[in-house]
Parts: sequence; structure tokens; C-alpha cells
Amino acid sequence: MIALEQVTARKGRFALDGISFALARGEYGVVIGPAGSGKTTLLEVIAGLLAPVSGRVSLDGSDAKGRPPEARGIGLVYQHAFLFPHLTVRENVAYGAADEATMNEAAERLDVVPLYAREVAGLSGGERQLVALARALARRPKLLLLDEPFSALDPRRRTVVRREVRALHRAWGLTTLQVTHDFAEAGMLGDRAVLLDAGRVLQSGTPAEVFRRPASPYVAEFLGAENVFAGVARDLGEASPDWVEGEPSVYAHGHRAFAFEAEGLTLYAVGDFAAGAGHAVIRAEEITLSRDQSFDSARNRFAGRIVEISTLGALARVTVEVRGVSLVAALTTRSVHELRLEPGLAVVATFKAMAVHLC
Amino acid sequence: MSVAGGAGDGRSRGASHAVLSVIAALFASLLLLFLAAPILRLVTESGGEGIAKLATDGELRRSLMLTGLTATVATLLGVLGGTPLAWLLARREFPGRAMLSALLDLPLLIPHPVAGIALLLLLGRESAVGGAALELGLRIVGTPLGIVAAMLFVSAPLFVSGAREAFAKVDARYEGVARTLGDRPWRAFHRVTLPLAGRGLLASAVVMWARAVSEFGAIVILTYNPKVASVLSYDRFTSFGLDEALPVAAVLALLALIPLTALRALRQERRP
Repeated sequence: MIALEQVTARKGRFALDGISFALARGEYGVVIGPAGSGKTTLLEVIAGLLAPVSGRVSLDGSDAKGRPPEARGIGLVYQHAFLFPHLTVRENVAYGAADEATMNEAAERLDVVPLYAREVAGLSGGERQLVALARALARRPKLLLLDEPFSALDPRRRTVVRREVRALHRAWGLTTLQVTHDFAEAGMLGDRAVLLDAGRVLQSGTPAEVFRRPASPYVAEFLGAENVFAGVARDLGEASPDWVEGEPSVYAHGHRAFAFEAEGLTLYAVGDFAAGAGHAVIRAEEITLSRDQSFDSARNRFAGRIVEISTLGALARVTVEVRGVSLVAALTTRSVHELRLEPGLAVVATFKAMAVHLC
Repeated sequence: MSVAGGAGDGRSRGASHAVLSVIAALFASLLLLFLAAPILRLVTESGGEGIAKLATDGELRRSLMLTGLTATVATLLGVLGGTPLAWLLARREFPGRAMLSALLDLPLLIPHPVAGIALLLLLGRESAVGGAALELGLRIVGTPLGIVAAMLFVSAPLFVSGAREAFAKVDARYEGVARTLGDRPWRAFHRVTLPLAGRGLLASAVVMWARAVSEFGAIVILTYNPKVASVLSYDRFTSFGLDEALPVAAVLALLALIPLTALRALRQERRP
């Protein structure tokens, strides 16, 4: 549906540099990146509002060059909505509507019908985003481009609207590309994640791949992985899989066992990696803590001492010091209470070899 | 000791602030008085007589009609050509944009008799353009066409600069959204840009009209007769003295209330 090949574009001080990725028909893609990474510029290039300096944008398999925005079958929703202030809410939704039925369905699903008679100037930020979404959907686009479309909604509304947009995406067979800086949103919505930073694609793949197997330590840190260690990976080969989890058939897929020496710790990892100097990444969510040495299937097991516990609502982040190295584990606050965890307590941190990603 | 000194410093700083404020207020008041006093004096002294003269002085009435008409034609021409130019300057980056901007400011910066002379050179019967117009039966110099040309030259840049600002205030992304909603560029301009920039464009047109009405220097060189109001007031002054010029001048000053009121209304409407 959309394919970008080596696209370079400039807009003011923002620039996209050699962007390549593809999104198949019906896929929900998520572009993740910090402010100023070129996310909005990327959407404008796909929408045809900004001509690339070089490279090729294909829509539906053909070069989109020369196809004006009105002929691209797209719906674009900016973060700041850009509702037409001289029109009422209803007139905004009806602006480019394919037909009355589509307009009504979009408006009803997003619950903007009660806003119809209102002036745009009197809407809240969240309401504006809903109306902008309804306006774009009322056109029944083939490709929906969303720029942080839920950012001004309160958390409860955001969940509902996300679900509705996802449902419409499926029901109408839309192809959607959404820009966000919210990793949770990316994981929830996306079939494909594109990681953008400073105008370049750092990595693209399924959200699970990108989150679990970041292509570089930078990506790992960027995605909020707390445990990133520099070290050297030694290939243990397929011959000594005594500690390796999974079926032997795993090996047939090129997975190998590694010992990763990092800052005095030896981490065991399994996967399709290369030996040598690199980084090991373990997401905090993959690390469990216990008060004793009870054995389970996890191969990485380190005794240490709790140095810090920070709680945020139902979640807690517990920092454990193991031979001078800090490991951060994400637990529920309830687990912290049930295990009676507190700073200074001796604990055992465990995680599976498959949770260690080498890059 | 240092605390006492600090308090003393504070007091002296406060005093010097007060003195500076008084001086600034004095200068501002003097300027305001200087700007308002002559017009107020003129209107209060001769406004009544001027309005009464409208009933009896046929030349004054014709002159005012001519001024209003030529200024309106010049403004319409300015809006017609100036709107796309302003949009282009506000929206597009192109080579020579800065040069074009500077060129558009030039008529505002040169003395207006100089503008008149330059126009005479271009449009006079000896020139190519003036000669060609004559062949088509159009005499420019010494006719209302000359007045329109002079007014257009000196006042259109004001419209372009105001309209450019009005377009720049409309975020281009509104147009972008309209395009993604199926509008071709002209339709997006008509449905979105124009309504959003409309008041700014109208205010710029009013400013242009007011400037055209008050023009003298360029008109007097291109077309002395028939006389627009500014030329008439000058003519009455040089031919008959101050007493005869005063009522005409007062009427012209009162005429300025029309665009002034229009601009005020536009600005008030703009407030949410």
C-alpha cells in the first residue's frame, strides 16, 4: 500500500534522510520518535503536501509522484486538529465526506454528533481531535495518516477512541500510519513499528521485534529499556545447549547459544546474534525477583541487594545491585508488598536466556 | 549598613523610574497632541462650513465623487493583482522572493512626485505604453486613468504587504487538510484560505483605499485636471488663499472618518 524508498525531504529545519519502509494494505503502522524527529514531515510527504527532494513514494504499487493530495485517497489528522474555524463542527465533518452514511458512521463512532452545533472555537483540545478524526474518516480514505491523534484526550476517552479507530481500521480495511511518541500505544495498535530519530529510520519491524530486539543500544535506550550492558558475546555453539530453553528445533532456525560477559556478570542468551563486542538488552519487565534461590527454568540468576524501589501507581521499579552492576526489574506494587521487598534486602534476580537480546 | 545602603539604592532607583515614566508620558502626550491638534482645529473651525459648501460648491462635489471613484477603481485593481502576489509571497519560497519584496516596498519609500515623474515617463504620450494606449483611444495622462495609475502605484504596495501578513497568519496546514479532504488548490483557497484571511484582506483594501484618496504628489504630476480632492484643496490654497482652502481641507479630513470607522469595525469584529 505505502512504500518509501530512500526518501529525502526538507521542511524548514526538519529533514528526512533516506527513509525506507513499507506498509502492506490493511496494516496499522506506527511511527515512533521523539519531538523533532521528522514524524509529521514524513506524513506530509506521504500525503503529497511536501515533495521529496529525492527517493520514491509508492501508493498502491505505483509511483505517487505527480499525484496531488486530493487524488491520493488519504485522510490526514494533525495533532493540533486544524479544524476550519469559520465552520461549525458539523460543517467540518461534512467538509470532504464521501456520503451522508459514512459521515454519520464516523461521527457516531467517535461520539461527535452531540458537538455538531458547536463552534470550533468553543471546543476543548480533545474534542477538536475527535472532530478532526471524524472529518478525515468521513471521507472514507484508503490510507489514514494520524499525527498524535489521541494526545489531547483524557486517558479513559483515549482508550475508547483507540479501540474505535482500530475497529474502523479493520472494518473498513484501511491502511493506517500513526505517529506517536507513546510506546505503549505503539505496542497496542501497531502491526508494524517504524522508529524515527533525527530524520532517519533507526529500525522497523513488528512492535514486538523492535521492543524485544532493538537494533542498537541507542534504540534500546530510546525505547526505554533500563538494562543495557556493554560486553563481549561468546558463541557457545549448538553443542552445549544444557542451559538453553526451548525445543531443539529452535536451533534449526539459526538460533545459537551465547555467553555474554558484561561488567563482571555472565549473561546467557539465545538467538540469532553475532559473536563479539556488543550490547545486551534486558527489558525490566522480563526480570523477576525472589527472596530465595528456588530454581525454575530461567538460566540467568543473580543474587544481589535491593538499592532502590520506586513505585508509580500499580507498578514498581526495583533496582538490584549485583556485584556493582545495577539491574532494574519492573514488578507490580502488589508483588513488592507481598514479597515485603525493601532497600537493603537480599534478593535473587532471574530472567530467561531468551529475554536477553544482543545487539 | 549594607542593608541600609540597599534600601537607599532601591529608593533612588524607584525615583529615577518615576522620573523616566513622567518624561516618557510627556513626550507621548506631546506627540499625540501634535498629531491630533491640527486636524481637530481644522474640523472644528471649518467642518461646518465645509459640509455646507457641499450643497453649493459643484466643483467640490464633483471632485469628491472623482476621488472616491478613482480610489475605488485603483483599490479593485490592487486587490485583483495584489492578492495572488501576496499569497505567493506568504506561501512560496522561490528565487528572487526577497528582491520582489523589496521592489514592492520601493513605491512607499520614494517621494511621491518622483513616483509621478516615473509614471509620466512610462505612461506619457511619448512613451511606448502611453503611445500604444493612445492608439487604442486611451489617454492616460491628464485623465481619470492617470489618477487611477498614480493611486495604484503609491497605494497597492500597502495592500500587498497587509494581505501578505493576512495570508501568513493562516497556517498553511489548513490548506493542506482541505487538499487531503478532496479540494483542488483553487477550491481550498476559496473555501478555506480566503474566509480565514478575509478580514485581513478587507482591512488592507481599506488602508489602500484611504491611501489612494489622500494621494497628492504623484497625481498632481500625472493629472492636474480633472481635480481630485487633494489637488482641489491645493489649488484653492494657491489660487485663493487659506480661507478658500479651509472648507475643502476640512471636508477631506472628515472623509478620512469613513476608512477609520471601517477599520475600527473590522478590528473589533476580529476580537473573539
